Amino acid sequence: MATMSSRGWGMMRGRPKTTTIFRSEAMSLVQLYIPSDVARYAVSQLGEIGLMQFRDLNSEVSAFQRSFVNDVRRFDELERKLRYLHGQIARSGVDVYDFLDDGFAGGSRGPRDIDEMEERIAAHEGRVLRLTAAYKDMQIKHLELLENKHVLEEVSSLFSEMTGRQASGAGLGGAGGGGGRGADSMPLLTRTDTSSRRSIGSMDAARADAAIDIEAGGVGRDINIGFIAGVIQRDRIATLERVLWRSLRGNMFLNYVDVEDPISDPRLDEPVYKSAFIVFAHGASLRDRATRIAESLGATLYPVDSSAERRQEDLIDTMSRLDDLHQTLQNNAAARANELTGVSEQINTWFTVVRKEKAIYHTLNLFNYDANRNCLIAEGWCATSDIPAIQSALHLATEDAGSNVPTVLQELRTTKEPPTFIRTNKFTDGFQNIVDAYGVPKAGEVNPGLFTCITFPFLFALMFGDLGHGALMTLAAALLCAYEKRLAWLAKDESMRMFYTGRYIVLMMGIFSMFTGLLYNDVFSRALSLFASAWAWPTDQGGEGVTVEATRVGGVYPIGIDPAWHHASNSLLFTNSYKMKMSIVLGVIHMTLGICLQVPNALHFRKRINIVHVFVPQIIFLFSIFGYLVFAIVLKWSTDWYARDAAGELTHISPPSLLNMLIYMFLSPGSVSESERMFRGQAALQTLLLLTALVCVPWMLLVKPLILRREHQQIISEGYGRISSHARVSSEGEGLGGAIVVSEQEEMEADDFDFADIMINQTIHTIEFCLNSISNTASYLRLWALSLAHAQLSEVLWTMTFLPMLKMRGALQPVAIVCGFAVWFVLTVGILIGMEGLSAFLHALRLHWVEFNNKFYDGTGVKFEPFSFRAVLDAAEEQ
Amino acid sequence: MGGALVFWVGILVCGLCAGALFTFKSMADPTLWRTCAILSLSCCYLMWAVTYLAQLHPIIVPKRDDLRIDL
Repeated sequence: MATMSSRGWGMMRGRPKTTTIFRSEAMSLVQLYIPSDVARYAVSQLGEIGLMQFRDLNSEVSAFQRSFVNDVRRFDELERKLRYLHGQIARSGVDVYDFLDDGFAGGSRGPRDIDEMEERIAAHEGRVLRLTAAYKDMQIKHLELLENKHVLEEVSSLFSEMTGRQASGAGLGGAGGGGGRGADSMPLLTRTDTSSRRSIGSMDAARADAAIDIEAGGVGRDINIGFIAGVIQRDRIATLERVLWRSLRGNMFLNYVDVEDPISDPRLDEPVYKSAFIVFAHGASLRDRATRIAESLGATLYPVDSSAERRQEDLIDTMSRLDDLHQTLQNNAAARANELTGVSEQINTWFTVVRKEKAIYHTLNLFNYDANRNCLIAEGWCATSDIPAIQSALHLATEDAGSNVPTVLQELRTTKEPPTFIRTNKFTDGFQNIVDAYGVPKAGEVNPGLFTCITFPFLFALMFGDLGHGALMTLAAALLCAYEKRLAWLAKDESMRMFYTGRYIVLMMGIFSMFTGLLYNDVFSRALSLFASAWAWPTDQGGEGVTVEATRVGGVYPIGIDPAWHHASNSLLFTNSYKMKMSIVLGVIHMTLGICLQVPNALHFRKRINIVHVFVPQIIFLFSIFGYLVFAIVLKWSTDWYARDAAGELTHISPPSLLNMLIYMFLSPGSVSESERMFRGQAALQTLLLLTALVCVPWMLLVKPLILRREHQQIISEGYGRISSHARVSSEGEGLGGAIVVSEQEEMEADDFDFADIMINQTIHTIEFCLNSISNTASYLRLWALSLAHAQLSEVLWTMTFLPMLKMRGALQPVAIVCGFAVWFVLTVGILIGMEGLSAFLHALRLHWVEFNNKFYDGTGVKFEPFSFRAVLDAAEEQ
Repeated sequence: MGGALVFWVGILVCGLCAGALFTFKSMADPTLWRTCAILSLSCCYLMWAVTYLAQLHPIIVPKRDDLRIDL
């Protein structure tokens, strides 16, 4: 066997494999001695099975000084490259193949595979980078050519238009042959009033004409009116005009025309609208100044020749170059897409591998290096029952590495608090999350999650009792559960995740709601008549506004509330009393369960004192007040208050008020008024119970601290004193030559005895318990209140939306019924099931977190978070 | 049927709970399923019993004022 077992876990083999969520799993602190050349494979295998949580043995070393920082950096860099490639793939619209090469990503990869992958990724990245850069360059060139083309087109159209006008107006044809740059432009100096074209000039039309005369006549005279042309963003043209006007003191003339199509600039995100403009200015220095101003405003200037023929040639030339470039651009895009398609087939696998490798080196950074024996020392927690699985994973790793030096696994004895590992399944997972949100159980502590599985949906259902609503909820949840594999994508959706992960909670809530709805006899606020009603309405009396009473004709309605109550005008009187009492009864039982769960806790942690002097007085206190109340409730129900004896006399005076009974039990102990008396000896019993409850208070408060103090003093007097907590640690690893460098400083907290501290804690605990037992019992009345609200709301919805349609007469009734039903159904799902369900959920949550957990649960544990690739990949995907 | 029914059903439910203690042997986590079975049975029984008892000796009778005389 490649992996050797050492003392410790060999004993565990005999343990039964069954585990339960009643308590967290038994955990072991294990130490691994991994030969350096196996380490990467070992961590990889352990990451695949995800059963071990590693401790950081280098916590004093900063993140930059650890042994495998360079490897982590290397994979960071690779991940960056992959993200770049992924971004390029997404931008170019190539589909990413959802393909994972299991052999490479899942199995064992050697360093050579990794190197090869790194090379391939680098080569791909280099090619894509080159192609992209070339593409960008060409796009810019394309843009320039396009703009140039526009300028040429627009300028010549301006020229030809002006020439036409001039020719008809002043009889001065094209007036060509200007000296210097573009002196042929004179017709443009006239103001045009086309709506889209505007020009301003310092010279009015007459002067312009004169200038043209001069220009046309005297080439040799050094007047030199030239122009510059270019494109600028359309919204900047007004600014350009104004700035030019001011800085050239009016010695200029600007004309522009909008380019109709938007121009896409690769340097900008969106295509922009631009205008082609032409500026005439007098003299080279003014033209230079105009050039600078235009460029500073983001304009691009293009040389435009003054002669029409040359312009035409330029235009043709530009067009042909544009065509060529377009072809090249397309070729480039095709090459790029080809390259990216090649990448997209592999990118999922590469991402997975790179993330896994990065996680491996992060984990290796937690290990200690033993230079003498050239091995890494790892330490971590795992479930004791998982040790064989870890052994076989390590064995596999040794084979992967082709090494024959075994990895040694050794279980450490420790007094450290282990992390809490509760092995949930898909059913219990949601409920455990509810508990974990309050607090993770301490190792070995009773896990309320086990009981929450049933009590949570049940308490929810008490507030949500309606057969119809429950059935809809069950149906939805059952569909989610039945198709859970196919609907797994819902877990990735932010808003649906809650429903998907809580589908079994919702299923249980729905099923229990159907049951409670059956007992409340509510189906969408209507009543069911499954059995014969115990009440009969008189047939001979009644009428509008006349109150009639039903007479009892049968026994008790066997399951649920008699439907006769449903239409009764005093039905609330009955249901309120029934639901209130039920809340108290179930609440007290729920709290009793909570208090009783202290017992397994005390047994597990071997604290008998907690049973005798915490649990017993608490349960006596609760029972002597609220247990008695429950007893009185049941007694009141089972007594026939209108029974008559043989002589025909009423045996009881009147039904007692239980609320008054409880109040007077405290206010006037020892006396019960004749009209309120329920049974003989009631006054004496009540006094006895009250005294018992009173005795319990000092019992809870004082006995436990005093006993602890006596025990402590006994230890001191016997001369043991304080045992050094560090003395116990050093017995580990004897067989390994004492080479272990595991730090055990934080091993144990000092076992100091502080009587004042204990006393204060106990006082708080006692006061809290006594006050809470009253307020928590009252808190369970929310079961009644929410159930009342739910029933009333659904009744109101029925009478407001659907009932009027059913009562309607006439030809439109079918239409009205369809509409009414639609409104009613949508509101039922939205308000009654959605919102009411949410509120009942929150109240059930509160009853568990506060009223139930309070009684026995610390919830101060730390969750077990094993190193697992699945968690690593999920976390990476969520980013 | 009177109040004794609550008692008899109670005994039946106790029997079922006891039976649940010896089932689910082949499941991965018998404790979980046993607890679930017992808690569900107890919860449902309690609610049913409370509802039944509340109607055993009614103190008020249902009244209504919207009945029409059907002659």
